[in-house]
Amino acid sequence: MLITGIKSRPVYDRLTPFPEALLHLVVGQGSGGTAMSRLIAEIAPGADIEVMYSTESFTGQNHLAALKDAAPGRFDWFASNAALSQALHDRLSQAFMGTRLYLAGSESFIGLAMKVARQFDLNADEVLREHCGSLVRRVWCVHCDTYSENITQRVFSCSGCGKPLVVRDHYSRLMGAFMGVQGDAEVPGELPEASELDT
Amino acid sequence: MQLEVKTDESFRVPYRFSNSPEALARFPFPFPDDSYMYSVNLEPHVRTGSGVFANAFDIDEHYVGECADRARALAEQPGVHYVSLPHMMQAQWDVLELIMESYAGDFPQVFELRKQGAQWNWVNRLLGIDDRFTFGDPASLPMEPFEYISRQAQGDWVLLEERDQTLYIGAGMTTERADYSIRFDLGMSWHEFHGPVPLAHELGVFDKALKFMLRLRTNHPVRRLNWTTTVFPRLETSAETLPDWGPNRTMVTPDNAGETVHLRVELQPLHRLPRSNAIVFPIRTYLAPLGELVTNPAWGRRLYRVMSSLHQELVDYKGMTRYHAAMVQYLSRFADASS
Repeated sequence: MLITGIKSRPVYDRLTPFPEALLHLVVGQGSGGTAMSRLIAEIAPGADIEVMYSTESFTGQNHLAALKDAAPGRFDWFASNAALSQALHDRLSQAFMGTRLYLAGSESFIGLAMKVARQFDLNADEVLREHCGSLVRRVWCVHCDTYSENITQRVFSCSGCGKPLVVRDHYSRLMGAFMGVQGDAEVPGELPEASELDT
Repeated sequence: MQLEVKTDESFRVPYRFSNSPEALARFPFPFPDDSYMYSVNLEPHVRTGSGVFANAFDIDEHYVGECADRARALAEQPGVHYVSLPHMMQAQWDVLELIMESYAGDFPQVFELRKQGAQWNWVNRLLGIDDRFTFGDPASLPMEPFEYISRQAQGDWVLLEERDQTLYIGAGMTTERADYSIRFDLGMSWHEFHGPVPLAHELGVFDKALKFMLRLRTNHPVRRLNWTTTVFPRLETSAETLPDWGPNRTMVTPDNAGETVHLRVELQPLHRLPRSNAIVFPIRTYLAPLGELVTNPAWGRRLYRVMSSLHQELVDYKGMTRYHAAMVQYLSRFADASS
């Protein structure tokens, strides 16, 4: 479980069944597949379960086959996280009271899916999120308003404006991203030491 | 207070900024002790004396220059300095009412508010504004009510909404923010948006301050001071424009620190809003170059003691790493001043 000193970063959960759920909507991506399978096995038999899975993965983890076997009811899979978020939006717009949402995957994926969930006012009592897989970050450039995906280094080149950005340990849930600011803004070329983002 | 307002100030290159002796005399010097650490320094916002605590929301000789600087920042970067979530409209009207009533009551020579039911007439003589609108009807104003009034109000303004026993940022007009992004912080909870502040979480400051804030009642505002430093009298020091003002930090020497380094004090008079139950978090910034402040020997001596003993994590967080030593060396000349 991902716990860091970053105060604005969500503290993630471990997926366990909501006993009161009328519909268990199990949604995940890449490495999240293991947590999804584990959860499905823990849900009481006969319960209404729907599964949505995206095979897009930074580390190449694919649990599609195992999930297909585990899913007792409706199962949909998507080649990209963007396609899954669109489908999640469509699904939630048809959802009824008693729907409970489970999210599993990378932080970037959870952030994207939570943006969708927030549009439907799903609150903390109705969603669980389990962080799985690598510690890559999604980073928003404060200067050019571009998102860079799968960032593993403290200092990197912005995919929008090309500025050398330093990743601040500050996370915005609305954006689902960390902040990147120009690292050599005081003296051009003078950057903090390169290091791996290990949290 | 007799309000003598300057009309030719500039908070960008070429800078034109200084405090008159009267403005310096009422400067809210933020250090009650020879050392500084975060604390829950909240106190009731009662009218005190004839200085910056005399009014609900203080304005001073820099009002016109600051409003012009705000208008420029908003025009240069639309969407970057003013944000508001869709459900904040009631709080927007609340804060418009609070600022208009406060300004008109405290500075009747320059602001006037006439009401006939929901038909309001707002006169701002300092900016040459005389507008009629319908309170509660956004279509009767040229822009959202919060943007409309905060373009005419000195200092930054953040609106906090209360949910789940905490406060969330729901809107902000922040053209004078000290190295953060209001777009990024929008929607963050109290502990989230204070996340980057070092040491204070561990001291329990934010837990205690939040408890205090949640008990805030309408008509019983509280206030606190906060401070940082900025090189040159530049108000717009957002994270977004760091590349524009970051290089200034390399220009400080012991010989020029009196002119280059500005103490930046934030007066924050927090008010609970009556309809929305939101809280308005104003950040009214006062700037003064160190050279002006040390003309008061007691302030010069105290500045030296506070800055020379400042915790390294605060030096870094406040962006002073590169010029802290030069600033302290400059201030050491005033270390033994007799008061």
